[in-house]
Amino acid sequence: MGALGKPIILMVGMYAFLKFVLPNIPGSAPLPSSLIFLYLLLTASGIVIFETLSGESKDAFWGPIQRFLTGENIGGLQALRYGVFILFPLLVGWQTYGSTAVSDLPPTESRTIHPAPPGEYTGLSNPVPKTPENIMQGKGFYAAYCSPCHGGNFDGKGPAARGYIPAPANFADPTTIAMLQESYLFWRIKKGGIGLPIEGAPWKSAMPRWEVELPDEWIWKIIMGEYDGAHQSPRTWE
Amino acid sequence: MKPANQVIGRVLRSGISVLAAIIVGGATIGFAQESVSVRATLMTGGVPVDDPNAAAWSTAPPATFPMSPQVHWQNRIQEVTVKDVIVRALHDGKQVAVLVEYTDPTQDPDDAAALEFMVGDKKAHFAHGQPMLQVEGGPVNIWFWKNKTGKAVDMNAKGFGTLKAQEHQDVKAKGVYSNGTWKVVFSRELSTGHAEEDVQITPGQFINVAFAVWDGRKDGAGDLVEKGSQKAVSSWWYFRADAPPDYSGYMYAAIAAALALGFQFVLIRKLKKGQSA
Repeated sequence: MGALGKPIILMVGMYAFLKFVLPNIPGSAPLPSSLIFLYLLLTASGIVIFETLSGESKDAFWGPIQRFLTGENIGGLQALRYGVFILFPLLVGWQTYGSTAVSDLPPTESRTIHPAPPGEYTGLSNPVPKTPENIMQGKGFYAAYCSPCHGGNFDGKGPAARGYIPAPANFADPTTIAMLQESYLFWRIKKGGIGLPIEGAPWKSAMPRWEVELPDEWIWKIIMGEYDGAHQSPRTWE
Repeated sequence: MKPANQVIGRVLRSGISVLAAIIVGGATIGFAQESVSVRATLMTGGVPVDDPNAAAWSTAPPATFPMSPQVHWQNRIQEVTVKDVIVRALHDGKQVAVLVEYTDPTQDPDDAAALEFMVGDKKAHFAHGQPMLQVEGGPVNIWFWKNKTGKAVDMNAKGFGTLKAQEHQDVKAKGVYSNGTWKVVFSRELSTGHAEEDVQITPGQFINVAFAVWDGRKDGAGDLVEKGSQKAVSSWWYFRADAPPDYSGYMYAAIAAALALGFQFVLIRKLKKGQSA
């Protein structure tokens, strides 16, 4: 019992842990089956190495397996043995078919959501004084130019947003403007969707190139209004 | 020997169940799919290029895509009539037909719809292939239909204001309006002799497609509300014409199963030999 029982318990336990326990640990996520398979493979090779370290343990480990495979003195297990011999090639065939089948899924898109801005846009600071009047003015510009997509509540849910994928940024979400510097927003507003580098592909951003329509000062005020309205502060390096 | 047999039995049973669980678990990944692509179903016999109500369309799965008012470039529009388009496609290995269906309360002479494709390998911005500032993008091929003219125009653009009809017109279109719904069929040969200007559709390959719709209604002053760049647009989506059925997967599976079977025989023979020696 010992030589084979323990590895089996270990394998089953490992599988149960990876499949049902690990995803429930806070901050974790369900593992893809390929990763679970890899972990089980590693566990299995570890077991084989461990069990074959000494001659004795090796015999105790391989002996029952060998007896089962050759069908010597296994009595009622003979039927199971034939079952395994039939099932194994079928499983291999099935897996092969599955891996050669053409995928119906479109190519994956690995879009970088916040690609690095060109050098001249890093570290710029907002030249407009942060006064209540300027913030108010910024919010006014925001309502006129930005809110149709980014929403009157700064939540990315403007009336024009529905067809645009990726959805317009939700400024109230802490993973958007809260983790960006003001200079980054200045670049994205100025250059818009067509200012994106190659890693920003596929180029589906409908963000206008506002530099052709709005003066820089207005853009800086809009940035101020955005942070204030969304109750976020720009990221700083201090 | 009985305990040993029981152990082996348990071993194999649990092993098989673990294996089965892995396979089943793996097979269920990746089947939840929203409308992200139009699938042109392969059919035999002629593609119904002139008939948006042909029975053959029921064999093509519908895909629904949301529309937005065009805001990327001047002149913008803040609100548009059409909120979604439903798209189906068919091909017979030679011709492709795309059926675009949408709700529009009134039939107007200026009602219009368009398909947009990337051309060649270069990526293009979804808004008329607007030139990207940091990267060189490619042109887009636009198939444009207008109710008034009743036909399609095959065009190219590389940025707003560069839209131009091609010298060789390869696209046909036919629109039928009924019960507040437009059904427009665009059709063309899968491939043309002009790969620089026309999208080439290779069965089995994904290409990019986008949609545009104009409701030709007029405002109180008699001016068109939706015209030119003031239209409903979609983002880039995918399009794929089904490849002819491919049975090679079964052949590979059979070879793999045969190899596994052979491996079993060799292994057991070896083990038996080792035991008797």
